[in-house]
Amino acid sequence: MTIDDELTVLLPDFLARQRWYVGAEPPESVEIIDEVRLAEGPDDQPGLLWLLVRVPGDDAAYQVPVGLRPLDQMEKWLQGKGRSLIGDLDDDDRPLLAYDAMIDPELVPLLLEQAAPGVVEDTTTRALAVEQSNTSVIIGEEVVLKVFRRVHDGPNPDAEVVEALASTSFASTPRPVGTWRRSGRDLAVVRTFLKGSADGWQLAMTSLRDLYDRRLPPAECGGDFAPSSGRLGSLVAQLHLALAAAFGSHEADPARWLEALEAGLDDLASGDGEGLDGLDGPLVARARQRYQSLRGLTGAGMSIRIHGDLHLGQLLRSDDGWFVLDFEGEPRVPSAQRRQPSSPLRDVAGMLRSFHYAAAAALLERNEKGDAELEVLAQAWEDRNGSAFLAAYLNEPGIDDLLPNDDGVLYTILGAFELGKAVYEVGYERAHRPDWLSIPQHAIERLLR
Amino acid sequence: MIHDDPGWYQRAVFYEVLVRGFYDGDGDGTGDLRGLTEKLDYLEWLGIDCLWLLPFYQSPLRDGGYDISDFFSVLPAYGDIDAAAGFIDEAHRRGIRVVADMVMNHTSDAHPWFQESRQNRDNPKADWYVWNDDDQRWLDARIIFVDSEPSNWTFDQQRGQYYWHRFFHHQPDLNYDNPEVAEAMLDVVRFWLHLGLDGFRLDAVPYMFERDGTNGENLPETHEYLRKVRKTVDDEFPGKVLLAEANQWPADVVDYFGDGDECHMCFHFPLMPRMFMGVRREQRFPIIDILAQTPAIPDGCQWGIFLRNHDELTLEMVSDDERDYMYTEYAKDPLMRRNVGISRRLFPLIENDRKVAELFHAMLFSMPGSPVMYYGDEIGMGDNIYLGDRDGVRTPMQWTPDRNAGFSRADFARLYLPPLMDPVYGYQATNVEAELRDSSSFLHWIKRMLEVRKQHPVLAIGTFEVLEVENPSVLAYLRRGLDADADGHEDIVLCVHNLSRFAQPAEIHLSALAGKQPIELSGRVPFPLVGELPYFITLPGHGFYWFALVDVPEPV
Repeated sequence: MTIDDELTVLLPDFLARQRWYVGAEPPESVEIIDEVRLAEGPDDQPGLLWLLVRVPGDDAAYQVPVGLRPLDQMEKWLQGKGRSLIGDLDDDDRPLLAYDAMIDPELVPLLLEQAAPGVVEDTTTRALAVEQSNTSVIIGEEVVLKVFRRVHDGPNPDAEVVEALASTSFASTPRPVGTWRRSGRDLAVVRTFLKGSADGWQLAMTSLRDLYDRRLPPAECGGDFAPSSGRLGSLVAQLHLALAAAFGSHEADPARWLEALEAGLDDLASGDGEGLDGLDGPLVARARQRYQSLRGLTGAGMSIRIHGDLHLGQLLRSDDGWFVLDFEGEPRVPSAQRRQPSSPLRDVAGMLRSFHYAAAAALLERNEKGDAELEVLAQAWEDRNGSAFLAAYLNEPGIDDLLPNDDGVLYTILGAFELGKAVYEVGYERAHRPDWLSIPQHAIERLLR
Repeated sequence: MIHDDPGWYQRAVFYEVLVRGFYDGDGDGTGDLRGLTEKLDYLEWLGIDCLWLLPFYQSPLRDGGYDISDFFSVLPAYGDIDAAAGFIDEAHRRGIRVVADMVMNHTSDAHPWFQESRQNRDNPKADWYVWNDDDQRWLDARIIFVDSEPSNWTFDQQRGQYYWHRFFHHQPDLNYDNPEVAEAMLDVVRFWLHLGLDGFRLDAVPYMFERDGTNGENLPETHEYLRKVRKTVDDEFPGKVLLAEANQWPADVVDYFGDGDECHMCFHFPLMPRMFMGVRREQRFPIIDILAQTPAIPDGCQWGIFLRNHDELTLEMVSDDERDYMYTEYAKDPLMRRNVGISRRLFPLIENDRKVAELFHAMLFSMPGSPVMYYGDEIGMGDNIYLGDRDGVRTPMQWTPDRNAGFSRADFARLYLPPLMDPVYGYQATNVEAELRDSSSFLHWIKRMLEVRKQHPVLAIGTFEVLEVENPSVLAYLRRGLDADADGHEDIVLCVHNLSRFAQPAEIHLSALAGKQPIELSGRVPFPLVGELPYFITLPGHGFYWFALVDVPEPV
């Protein structure tokens, strides 16, 4: 058997162990559709075999850079990293170890060379915390190499947006340094590394832990997050203005959103159309009814390229202020759809949902559900920060041009997107974090009250 | 004894003391130089390197002595010139230096210079102050004491003109455009340095000159004059130090270092409110932000950093929403607010939380700059907000649980201010004697920390590098540099602080120092070696660690 043949046999189980693989079960088969030998190895040097593979029933491909070292080095390279093991191979009677090359500090720089040759002198690598749909490594404490694991034909939305923003005056996103493109597919990007940063989710949690411990109104707590929420509101408005400038804008057609929103509901409703993960039938019916309020709506503002999956975890506070990242859109949504223009209010709805998520997650963390006082505080925190965010967003000079003129229309659209986001979250939590399923369920009930 | 050491102020720990409030040597109810001299042994024991005295000159005391009516004599209640000289000698004998406040910008309206100047428009001192026919000039200059002063101009009936004052109306600004004034003030400087003072803290330096079309702050003429003062000091009194009080943004304050040819030291004002904000918000960004905005300073210069001092916790250097935040957080009672600041001592500000006090001091003693402590903070003294003005934080030092806090043998009614008597901060509970007896007291803790700081001069003069930590509640940095005392080896100190009251984990990216061994500095306990992976430690709520990172000895 060739190495490719052996890998084809080993990869299904490997894929099933990866967080970036969308299926739950190992695929029936794996087909290698592209490959490059980036390093020969593995005598005294490791080998690097870059692969792009496809699995049946999935229109996207997966990127797997395979590291190759002598089998007796298994302990040294894979201790504590069993998830990254692909398996052992026989190469000319010499046993080889195959593994995910992203964990190998000697191989990652070879991938960096494909995307941005010679950008750093120091190639010391450091893995970033686990991500969902890609793998990032900090190199030389200066740049981040982000390898897209699930690869679609055509431009990657994240690569596309960050490059476009670099030509605008919007500076609150990491600067693009390089892109690895092959056969019309974006494989990896290199960005400047934001030193000393913490994401908005962690900072919101810090605020909420303070709140639940002090049991005072959020405005009276030391860890009040509202000033940050306000800054985030104007940051997101500036982002939208920059996206409108870079990608253009056109009169929005709410009927198109309606289709997508209804499709989201259809996906989740069980076969008989009755229930929705603990939500009763009448509630689903009310959701459909609520969406109908978009029908025939005029003056809905502009449709622009948006972030698409905006939440606190995508916002990074660094030593130089707040930054926004990850323009890939919702991972469960098909790629072509993610690049579709939409209302900027969809991102705003994402943020409002995120404030609810943070307050609820911090409550779950304390395991004190049923404590009525804390629930009141959670609601107060969410209201205070959502309002601060929204007020700053709506106050940003120029943002009016993108939004509905009529406040009634604006809040109708915003409410529909919040509902749509919560419905999406139900699907997401059901697949990934069943413990948190109650959060979006509760939101849906509240939004339809 | 004082050793010849030109950079002493870069490593020194300063202690700000109110002569009036420290110890009453003659039993008249007011602290004095004799009393301060008697307490030098205590300050030597504590580990203080330099005392900073608030003004002790002749004054009508309408602004705590900052309204000087004779630069060449001592306020009789404090003693006389001989007492001042004797005090300085005794301090020097114990290795303690002494700097004192000097108000260059203005005098009291009771000063003979002003009394002469106001007589008419053609007396010999007629141009020693800043006079004008109307009050419409330099309207761009802000009014600093907005609570009490409607204008920077006040009409003088006698002379029939307005005089200029950036502070209170009883403190007319000197006219530095007059060469006689400029020279007269240099003579004041010479007089005191000759007597033995080790330098001055120059009060209110940004306002010495006035120019049309400006706000009258940080003018080039002011810098030119400061260079002249510095040259006089360097030429005639080498080793003496000038410390500027310029309550400005760091980017503007650095101008007062000049090219190393103006002041040796400047206070870093905005750092202190940001430290309070960081701890209250339980995240490091308010602190990191201001440090990132702080420019490098010339060789031979140093920041003066502090937690609290005799003035209000100044909020001029924070944005409006930050100021609102600080008010709601730290000054819940409107009486606690003054001008644009908060007049409280450290311990009441942090609700008497010993852990938080330790955290604040750990940061104060390890951040770039020379720490300036405020008398009484080492025993956790409180304040009395009902005393009004800034007196609330200027009550007598609490020495013992005896009458008058052991501060004075005078009748209680004669005391310049009543000592604190509340159940928490009052002298019966909080005093030096009790804390000296209790080896786990805050006082002993401070003393031990100052010893550790002295063993590692890099904490004072080393480079400062903030480290990567994902947890936003954790502030970690390295201080490093060559240690002259240790055969020129590099000394590296890692400081990690938890700004949250909850326990926190921290993964610190230290792989560049892999192989080093952290030694915790308070107990000298060795910690596991630094490896290639992030260094993992856990911190208790408001906890901190200082580690020396040392080479592991080769096995024999």
